[in-house]
Amino acid sequence: MDTIMKSTKNFNRVSDIIDSLTINPNPDSVAVLEEIGTNSSIDEVREMTARALVKRNEPASLSVVISHKGKGINDMSTVVAMSTINCLLSLEDKELAMKVLEDTISDEGFEEDVRENARSVKALMALS
Amino acid sequence: MSTIERINQLSHRIFNTTLNEKNVSRSSNPFANFQKNVLNADVLELSSKKDINISGGITQGTKRIYSTFVGSINDFGKRFYEGIESIKEFGMRMKNSMVSAWNKVCEIGNTDVVEGLKNGYNAVKNVLTADVGKLFNTREKEITKMAKMDPQTQIKPMFAESLKALEEELVQAA
Repeated sequence: MDTIMKSTKNFNRVSDIIDSLTINPNPDSVAVLEEIGTNSSIDEVREMTARALVKRNEPASLSVVISHKGKGINDMSTVVAMSTINCLLSLEDKELAMKVLEDTISDEGFEEDVRENARSVKALMALS
Repeated sequence: MSTIERINQLSHRIFNTTLNEKNVSRSSNPFANFQKNVLNADVLELSSKKDINISGGITQGTKRIYSTFVGSINDFGKRFYEGIESIKEFGMRMKNSMVSAWNKVCEIGNTDVVEGLKNGYNAVKNVLTADVGKLFNTREKEITKMAKMDPQTQIKPMFAESLKALEEELVQAA
């Protein structure tokens, strides 16, 4: 999607909805973001959704972008994965994110790729 | 003339100088002496004095030259006067122009033209600032409003519909 597409009415509408779910205190917002946003075929929408989940800074939302395959830091799109990592590194309170990362690394139920990504991101966050 | 006579003459001239002076009258400057003549006054008179007779000594050519010179002086004065006059005229024109311009400015200032321009400027400024601010305020208000809605029952259908519309738009653009 180019810059012109980003200024369209539909894109602004989707962006506004994702922003509203970012600040919505209802925990169901995470489920909506995961179900609709992270499964979108549009990279920009997945990127915005992942950043919204990180900004919520809740165990459930952080778990989606860290532990789920194909979402957040495990997204097939490098842009989406890197944007999510940058957002994680920008968090003022990294305690919850580190906890989720450690749980993901230590949980053998997750795939090795997911655990490896979590390990790398944890190392980056420890350095930042 | 014998040698004795010559010596006597010489001694006479040396020791009796008054015989060789043409004018021995009292001089105001006793120290001034020019070629053995005491001067009457502090004026040096040339030995070959030339009497300048203006009426008879000037030739016709010289007269014409003098006449031309004097005429040129008169012309210069006339031109100088004309120059002064033109400068004065130029200054007056400048003054009149400035006064006229100032009167026009005052005239414009007294009319509604300035007010009209001011109002137009303010109107454009208001449109530009108000629209941009209004646009952002509208989106902010909409986001705040949606943030209070139920995610599952209200936001989810809205989100799905908007995302579908965006995907269709993207397909059409491609």
